[in-house]
Amino acid sequence: MMPAVLEFKNVSVSVKVGGADVALLRNVTFDVGKGRILGLVGESGAGKSMVGRVISGLLPDNLRFSAGHVYFQGGELTGRKARALLGRRIAFIPQEPLSALNPVLTVRQQMFEHMKHLGLPRKQWEPYCLERLAEVGLPDPADMLGRYAHQLSGGQCQRVLIAMAFSGDPELIVADEPTTALDVVTQAQIVRLLRQVQRKHGTAVILITHDLRMAAHVCDEVAVLYAGDVVERGSARRVLEAPWHPYSWSLKMATPNLTGPQYVLPALADLMPGLKQIAELPGCRFARRCPTRNAECENHVPVLESVGQGHYVACAGQCRADSASRKTEPHALPPAAHPGGRPLLELRDVGMTYQGRGGRKGQLFHALKPLSLSIGPGELLGVVGESGSGKSTLARLMVGLMAPTAGTVHVDGVARAQASARQAAQMRETVQMVFQDPDSALNPRRTVEGLVAQALELRSDMAASERRQIAERLIKQVGMAVDALQRFPSQLSGGQKQRVNIARVLCVTPRLLVADEIVSGLDVSVQALIMNLLLQLNRELGIAVVLISHDLSVVRYLCQRVLVMRHGEVVEQGPTDQVFGNPAHPYTRLLLESVPSDDAGAAWPPTEHDQDSVRAGSAELEFQS
Amino acid sequence: MSSISVNQQARPRGGMARIFSHPKVAVGGAMVLLFICVAVFAPWLAPNDPNAQDLLATLLPPAWAADGMAQYPLGTDSLGRCVLSRLIYGSRIALIVAVAAATGTMLLGTTLAILAGYLRGGFDRATSFIVVLWMAFPPVVFSMMLMVGLGTGVRNVILAVILVDWTRFYRVVRAEVIVARQREYVQAARLLGFSHLRVMLREVLPGVAPLIITLFSLQMGVAIIVEAILSFVGLSVPSNVVAWGVMLADGRDQIYQAGWNLLAPVCGIVFAVLAFNLLSDGLRVVLDPRLRKRGGE
Amino acid sequence: MASYAALLGRKLGTVFLTALLLSIVVFIVLRIIPSDPLAMMLPPSATQADIDFIRKELGLDGSIFQQYLVWLGNALQGDLGASIYFRTPVLELLKTALPPTLELVLVSLVMALAISIPGGVLLYKLERRKGEMVADFALVFLLSVPSFLWGIILIIVLGVVYPILPFMGRIDPSFSVDTITGFLLIDTLLQGQWRAWFDAFQHLILPALALALSFSPIIVRVLRSSLLDTAAAQYVNVARLRGQSEWRVLVHHMLKNAALPTLTLIGVQFGFLFGGTLLIELIFSFPGIGNLMVQAIKNFDLPLIQGVALVFCLMVLVVNFCVDGLYAVLDPRLRTA
Repeated sequence: MMPAVLEFKNVSVSVKVGGADVALLRNVTFDVGKGRILGLVGESGAGKSMVGRVISGLLPDNLRFSAGHVYFQGGELTGRKARALLGRRIAFIPQEPLSALNPVLTVRQQMFEHMKHLGLPRKQWEPYCLERLAEVGLPDPADMLGRYAHQLSGGQCQRVLIAMAFSGDPELIVADEPTTALDVVTQAQIVRLLRQVQRKHGTAVILITHDLRMAAHVCDEVAVLYAGDVVERGSARRVLEAPWHPYSWSLKMATPNLTGPQYVLPALADLMPGLKQIAELPGCRFARRCPTRNAECENHVPVLESVGQGHYVACAGQCRADSASRKTEPHALPPAAHPGGRPLLELRDVGMTYQGRGGRKGQLFHALKPLSLSIGPGELLGVVGESGSGKSTLARLMVGLMAPTAGTVHVDGVARAQASARQAAQMRETVQMVFQDPDSALNPRRTVEGLVAQALELRSDMAASERRQIAERLIKQVGMAVDALQRFPSQLSGGQKQRVNIARVLCVTPRLLVADEIVSGLDVSVQALIMNLLLQLNRELGIAVVLISHDLSVVRYLCQRVLVMRHGEVVEQGPTDQVFGNPAHPYTRLLLESVPSDDAGAAWPPTEHDQDSVRAGSAELEFQS
Repeated sequence: MSSISVNQQARPRGGMARIFSHPKVAVGGAMVLLFICVAVFAPWLAPNDPNAQDLLATLLPPAWAADGMAQYPLGTDSLGRCVLSRLIYGSRIALIVAVAAATGTMLLGTTLAILAGYLRGGFDRATSFIVVLWMAFPPVVFSMMLMVGLGTGVRNVILAVILVDWTRFYRVVRAEVIVARQREYVQAARLLGFSHLRVMLREVLPGVAPLIITLFSLQMGVAIIVEAILSFVGLSVPSNVVAWGVMLADGRDQIYQAGWNLLAPVCGIVFAVLAFNLLSDGLRVVLDPRLRKRGGE
Repeated sequence: MASYAALLGRKLGTVFLTALLLSIVVFIVLRIIPSDPLAMMLPPSATQADIDFIRKELGLDGSIFQQYLVWLGNALQGDLGASIYFRTPVLELLKTALPPTLELVLVSLVMALAISIPGGVLLYKLERRKGEMVADFALVFLLSVPSFLWGIILIIVLGVVYPILPFMGRIDPSFSVDTITGFLLIDTLLQGQWRAWFDAFQHLILPALALALSFSPIIVRVLRSSLLDTAAAQYVNVARLRGQSEWRVLVHHMLKNAALPTLTLIGVQFGFLFGGTLLIELIFSFPGIGNLMVQAIKNFDLPLIQGVALVFCLMVLVVNFCVDGLYAVLDPRLRTA
């Protein structure tokens, strides 16, 4: 049997935290065979990027390789040896493609620099680069060489980076979240490309990702990481279809289904432990959040044990695939409101057009083409689209942050543009917005209490104690403890910040919430929490929600009705189940096909349809402008 | 939904203790304090009258040298005036100019910056255009021209510094305001019904306050230098008032015979400016959470 | 290409317009207090002829507006008035005084870059290592010494205590060099006077060094800060992951990007360098426009002040223009419309 291309054996990496050594990676064991793809799956902070750093030999000074061995093609891989192999026998594909190319150098300059490093004779540089660029599906390689990074789209950049990675015909490639920063459609294309080229060259690949579903379709084997431990490992299909470890299971269940019956997203309490917390967890690091833990779990370090057919699980508790704790409740959205009542928010032929700026003066840019829409009380509406589709513009028009250049917006029957001061104030209380980026949406200098009760500052007649009481009520409503009120946003996690965001908006008791991409960028387990919160608010307080997202499964979970947008216009709308189950418009179909399927057996990414790729290809270039 | 305890992921906010823990702030702060004390308590600290001439004891070296006299610890200048006393009294002018000029510059520059950066539009374009014009003048040239136009004297020196250097505050604060303005928390506050003025004062200003404090300290150092330059060429204080620049001008004539006459004001100026620069630098790191993250862990 | 020419034309137009506006500002600033300039400018022993001369020079009979127009009209024809103190046309004085200052500034710029680029890289490398604290304090210390103090310190140390270098004037009076360009370093070479060249160079060292020492810490600081920012960028890490050596990463990837904000800052702070020439030339008895300006100010010589101030502004504008151009060359993001 051939040795694995890369093998990690009980690898531990430590860092000093307050005097004690804390293992950032603990006993990590896995291997990648020739021509195989291994997926390293985990949420942020799990340690998956650390594995990449170990392989590259570029560990920061304060981290120590404290135990275990790394073998490359059978030989021991020291840090020094690894650095010597970089680019040649071990290559990397980075995370954010647009920032991964030097902005002041052309593609040619950077590729030629790499050619020199690979030791190719100068005469061969140009033809070799053109060949590599053609291999990754770029239509005009000669033109591409002369371009700068800012002249490329995200997908094109990533193709160039893939081309460079495969240039030296490496034996191992580590792809660190290569598609996270890309649109859904581009993601599917890049993943398909990666697999193609990998198969052609027979390269072993380690794919680092947070998306379990994607890993299950693309990879041959999958290893799930949690807080530096490998908790489960096995064939990709088996780990997705029947995950053993409670964490893998919760990871799988945290993303709603795109097809098939829906279930209430089980939300895990607490968060993945950070460095300081890990120091206090001698045993299983997942134990505190685990529903099936027993007395041993917290003190006993779990070890990977085989459960048959190359499937390994590290768990001392009562985890089983058929565990009683894994029952899920079916989830159904409340039926849509009966039409006929007065709509809460109405858009009549609303459009938004900008004057071109800079070199494009005189040209009109249609951010939003005229559309009409009405939202009833308590309704749950989803708006789906990729970046540049106009969905954020729509959100801002709904809320009144922008005035439309065409059409009118009506709140409770009153036109916004003609509202008196008192009516405008009422409108603000009716329609509110929860912003996407919690770091940007919360003033870092205000305490949580100051943020949550911000709206009350305008009412001079309220006593401080009354304000405090309201703040306490609001913070509890979003499921946070009262002691959070004294903290500052910098001391909160992403999910907590987002909940403070929601609490703040609840202060004015709105009847319609516009949520602009509020869960993108959050870990899936936190996503589940926020979505359930929104459903609860809808159920208990009757608040209507307009959810803007690029994530189709989230929209399916939360919304009764959906709008699909592209290039500023609505291409399809209707009840969610109908639009997603039986899409009429080819763009909707394209979107749906680009999302990794829930069914591990289904083929994903979809094979290339000429029409779709042409449309997608031109769409990609259009998005760039 | 169960209550979830808050995860403390960042350092708890300290207060003054944390601010002074930074070495630059501590050292710079101590130096500034020393400088202020020397200036305030000058009449008690100076051994002699700074303007008293002792024509029998001109150009004496410092007390520890062979010909020195204990009465004049740092020696005397060409008119027999005590160098140490002049050094100490000179700090008064430096301090007055530093504080007054920095305050005026800060008020003028910051107000215009917040209005321009927040409101944008015509006002912003007009003020920014004026700033572009202003920046075409080398500051020293501009301030000297202003002294010609305004007339000499310390009050006009302060005015000149304000009129020339407000652009420093303007450019930096305006850039920050523009960034802050695009932050979603400003939009969120507007959505809650906050007026523009309220947003500027309650949301934007606290965010730029640390920057303003840092620049204030920096500006004080700059003001001291400008005053020294202007008194060096005789455009600042009248002849019966001591200023470090005047000491430099006097000392330069005796550069071969009594070089120490020059060293005293040089050290004085460098000490004072260094104090304010250290403080400014330290405050910048301590008060800006972004820099803290990079410099810290 | 046509668009480049149009852009260039537009930029030059802006420069002219700005210069015009600046001349107005200069004019007004000098006349803020409507005092009688005659009293200020003339010694008590002035004759009627002196008074009439000045009256005519300044056109004091008309309003400020008229005075400005008179001045502007003359200026556009190349007549910047005559210095009251020197009784010579301002333009003549400027012609003789400008080359020494330009020479001084250029030499000090070269020195500053030679000090600060390695200095900035060194300070960056010391980040989070022993010695960083010391280097940092040293940097703040250097930042706190203005150029004229450097001048005085250098004169004392390298001119008086250890008399190694000269510190008066441009060149030893025993040498006689014909003025061709006005730049001594060039003129001496053109005439084959090697010893004179060396002497002129020696005279330049101390004043240029004083200016350079005040300018360098600013460049070091921004270079270090830009390098830190660049180091955190994705593409630097990616280049490293491709196996590029640290040296290559530093020079080809980081420095090329860090140069951009550094260049911007140098452009902005150039006015500061020009301003330093005023006192430096005074202290070193260097016959440049800085010295001329100080003389003019001391004598309330309005026409000369105006002329020199304008020249300073024009120089700053020219530098800005060049920096903008250089920036467009270095940063491809600005080139594509």
